[in-house]
Amino acid sequence: MTHAGGHTERVKQRTHEGFLRHKHFMFAQIATALCVVAVGVYFFTAASLDEPPSGGSWIGYILGTISAGLIVWLACLGIRKRVITSGHYSLKAWVSAHVYLGLSLTVLATLHTGFQFGWNIHTLAYVLMMLVIVSGALGIWAYATLPQRLHGNRGETTRKQMLESIESLDRQMHDVAQPLDRAGAELARMSIEDTELGGGFWTRLTNGYGNCANRRAAARLRALPPASNPAQAEALTKLEQLMQQKAEVLALARRQMQITAFLEGWLFVHIPATFALLAALTAHIASVFAYW
Amino acid sequence: MAQEFHLKLITERAGGGDPIVRERQLPGPELSIGRAADSGIVLTDLTIDPQHAKMRFSGPGRITLESVSGRPFLVGGRPVQRADIDVASRPQVEFASYRLAFEPGPDGGAVVTVTHAEHESHATPKVFSLQSKVFGRRKMAWVFGSGIFVICLLIPLLFAGLLSQSKIHPDQQWSTGPLSKSHAFLETDCKSCHAKSFVAVRDESCKSCHQASHDPAAQAKVLAKARDGGSPYRPTLIFDHADPKKLSQSAPLPDGFGAKVTTIVQRTLGHPTDRCASCHIEHTKVTPPAKGGDPKAPLADKPKMVVVNDCESCHSKLKTRLGKTELIDTPDWNRHPAFRPLIMTSAEGVKPTFQRMALTGAPQERNGLIFPHRMHLDPLGGVAKQAIGLGAARGYGAALECESCHRPDATGRSFQPIQMEKDCGSCHSLAYARVGSELRLYPHGEVEKTMMIAGGGSMGGSNRVRPGTARPTPLPGTAPPSAVSGSPFRPGGACFDCHTITWTPEGRPSVQAVKLTTSYMPRGAFDHATPEHGGPGQSKAGGYKCADCHKAAVSDRTSDVLVPDIAKCNACHGQPKTKTAAASDGECATCHSFHAPGKATPKPGHPPLETLRWSQITAGKAPG
Repeated sequence: MTHAGGHTERVKQRTHEGFLRHKHFMFAQIATALCVVAVGVYFFTAASLDEPPSGGSWIGYILGTISAGLIVWLACLGIRKRVITSGHYSLKAWVSAHVYLGLSLTVLATLHTGFQFGWNIHTLAYVLMMLVIVSGALGIWAYATLPQRLHGNRGETTRKQMLESIESLDRQMHDVAQPLDRAGAELARMSIEDTELGGGFWTRLTNGYGNCANRRAAARLRALPPASNPAQAEALTKLEQLMQQKAEVLALARRQMQITAFLEGWLFVHIPATFALLAALTAHIASVFAYW
Repeated sequence: MAQEFHLKLITERAGGGDPIVRERQLPGPELSIGRAADSGIVLTDLTIDPQHAKMRFSGPGRITLESVSGRPFLVGGRPVQRADIDVASRPQVEFASYRLAFEPGPDGGAVVTVTHAEHESHATPKVFSLQSKVFGRRKMAWVFGSGIFVICLLIPLLFAGLLSQSKIHPDQQWSTGPLSKSHAFLETDCKSCHAKSFVAVRDESCKSCHQASHDPAAQAKVLAKARDGGSPYRPTLIFDHADPKKLSQSAPLPDGFGAKVTTIVQRTLGHPTDRCASCHIEHTKVTPPAKGGDPKAPLADKPKMVVVNDCESCHSKLKTRLGKTELIDTPDWNRHPAFRPLIMTSAEGVKPTFQRMALTGAPQERNGLIFPHRMHLDPLGGVAKQAIGLGAARGYGAALECESCHRPDATGRSFQPIQMEKDCGSCHSLAYARVGSELRLYPHGEVEKTMMIAGGGSMGGSNRVRPGTARPTPLPGTAPPSAVSGSPFRPGGACFDCHTITWTPEGRPSVQAVKLTTSYMPRGAFDHATPEHGGPGQSKAGGYKCADCHKAAVSDRTSDVLVPDIAKCNACHGQPKTKTAAASDGECATCHSFHAPGKATPKPGHPPLETLRWSQITAGKAPG
C-alpha cells in the first residue's frame, strides 16, 4: 500500500539576517566610504602640509576627533546591550555598526598617527586600540563559525548529558572497584577524583589534556599484574572498559570546552583592553593638550 | 552475656532529608573493618583497603583498634596504627570518609555508630564556560584601565614638577617623538619648554636661550643660561622680526580651507600660529639620513622648520590688518617697492639725522662734504695726474678707481669707513711744516687745535717751542702760519676744498660737520663680495662691476645718492637662466633675514650644529 494522499507541509520561509548582513551591509558601506574619504583626503593633503603629517595637523585633528568619538561610542555597546529597547535602533543594528565602524578605526586612527610611532603614551593608545580591534575581529570570526562547530561536535548530546554520563561512569567505577585490592582501587580513585574536566584558559584553548588522570589511570591499569582471583579479574576488565568510556565522553566535552573557549576567549582581551584603551585615550588627549 | 558490638549505620544523604539508619548486632569480641564485602564493618571508600583494620574488646569498657593494612586511621584527629579507647569517653575514630562513634552498650558491649556523608557534587553546564575559570573580565578591565589612568596621566600631570630633579621623569612618556640633536639635552626636562600645563609653548621659553640683544650684559646672561642649562651648543641668537603684537596682527590666515579653519581654531584655543614653536617643529618624525649620510646622526640636528606664513603673505595688504604702517606691500619680488635708502638730512649734532627717501624722487644727501666723484674718477683730469705722480709705491700710480678710496672690510661684503688721512691724505695733505724728516700735520677734525697751530684768530700764535724741539720749517710755497691768519680755512687752504666753511662775526671759522653714511640700506643685505656684485673672483657672464650700478663717474655733487635702484638687482634676480648667465633667485631671504635685520639668511642654511659646540667656539672656530 502506498501512501498516496500525504499532506502538504507549509513551511514559513524565514531567513535569518545576522548582524554582519544587517540591512544589506549598510554599516559596512558607511565604514568603507568613511575610510575611502579619509584615505583620499589624507594623501591629497598630506603632501601639501608644511610639517610631517601628525595628529597635530588639521587633518590629524579631524581624524583624531572622529576616532576618539567612535571609540567612546563603540565602548558604549557594553551599556547599550544591557538596555532593552525597541524601534529602529535595534541591538542588531548597534552590533552591526559596532563591527564595521570599529574596523574602520584601523584606517582612521592609523592616518591620525601620521605613521609616527614611538615608545610613548600615544602609541600605547594606538596599540591598545589595535588589540581591541583584532580581538573583536577574532570575536566576529568566532561568532560566525564556531556555533556550528559547537553543534557539530556535540551531535545530539547535550552538555548536561555529558556531565551526567561522566558522573554515572564515576559511580560505576566506584562500585566496580570495590573487590579490588589497594593498587586497583587507587587507580579507580585516581580516575574518579583526579580527572579535571576543564582546567585553565590555555588548557581549554589548546585542548591539552595529555596529563589527564583518567588516561594515566587506564594506562597503569593495563600494566597491573594479573588478578589473583576471577572476581578481581572481572572487576579490572570492567574498570578498564569504564575508563575507556569515560575517556570518550571527556574528549567530547573537552572539545566542546575548547570551542567555547574560542567563542568566549576574545572577550577576555576585548573588554579589559577596551577599558585600558579608554584610559590611555584619555591620557593621550589630556597629555597632548597639557604639553601643547 | 558476652561483650558484643551493636552497629548503627547512618548514611547522610547529600540531597538532604532524613538520614538512612540501619542497625544490627555483631556477636563476638572481634570485628574486622574494611572494604571487603565479608568485613564486619564494610566501608566502601576506595581509599580503604579490603582488610583495613580490626577491633576487639580488650577489657571492660575498652576496645583496641589496630590497622592490619598498615594504613593509619584517625583518633581524635591524629593518625595512628593502633589505639586503645575507653568507650565511656565516647571516642570517635575516622576511616577516610567514615566516622565511627563509640558509646557504652548494654552488658559491657559497645554501640558503634558508623556515619558516612555522601559527597555528591554535580558539575553544572556552567563548567563549559570560560567565565567559571578565568580571572574576571570586569576585574581585569578595571585594573588595567585605572592602572593606565594613574600611571600615564595622573602621576605625570600632578608630579612632573616635583620629580623634575629626580631620575624618574613621568612626563617623558608623553613625548610624541624625539627632540632634535640641538635640543636633545632637554629631553628629560619637559617643563623647560612646556612651562605651564595646558598652555602652548610660549616664545618666552625659547627666547630665554635664544634672544639676541644689543646689550652685551643681557646677551651674556642669555648664553650663560643655555650653557648652565646643559646645552652643548651655543644657541643661535635671534632678534624679533617685529614687535610681537604687530607680528600677530599682520599675519593673515593661511591659504586653503583646512589651514584657515585650523588657524582660527588654534588662535581661539590659545595655540596661536605666530609662536617660535609654530615654525620650529620639535618632537616630529625624523627624516632618515640620506644614503651615505652619517649613520651616527639619526636625529635631525635642528628643529624641523616649517613656514606658517611666508614673507609675501604678511607683506601683502598689510594696512588692512595693521591699520597704520609705513611698510609698503611687497606681494612678490616683481612688486618690490623702489629702494628707500636712509638719506642723511643733516650731519650736524652728535648724531646725524636720516630720512628714508625713495630713489625715484632723486633725493639729495647732506653729509657736509664737498666731493665730486666725477673729478676724482676722470682718467684724464688733474686728480688722475696727481695720482700717477704719487706713484705705485704709495698705492697709486694710475688714475683713481673706486677701490682707491673704498676699501673692503674684513668680510668683503661691505667697506671700511672713509678715513680722511688714509683715503684722501695722500693728495689732500694736512702737512703744514717739516721737522727734520717728519711732517707736521693739522689734526683733522679738530678746528680749535688747527686754529692754534695756524695761529689765527683771537687766540694768536706763538713762536715759542719747547726746549730741545726743532723749530718747524714752513713748507715751501706756504707762508708761515702766523703770516696768514687761519690760512687752512681760507681758499687754497687744506680744509677749504672739501669743507663748507663760514666765518663768525668775530672772524672765527666754522666748519660744517661731515658725516659719511656707512649703510644706506640697513634692512637689507647686499653682499659686495659676490663676484657678480663686483667682488673678487670670476663672475658669471652678465655680472656687474662697481660702475655698472654706481654712477659715480658722472656725479659732480656730493649730495648725489649713488645707490642704484632695484631695477639693477632685477636684471639678474628673479630672471631665468636663459636671460642671463648671472641669473639668481628672487627670494626675500636672499637679502632679508627673518631673525637678523640687515642680514641675509645664510645659504644653504645656518652653521652646522657641530661648529656651535662651546669647545669649538672657545677654540676660536666659531662660524663667521
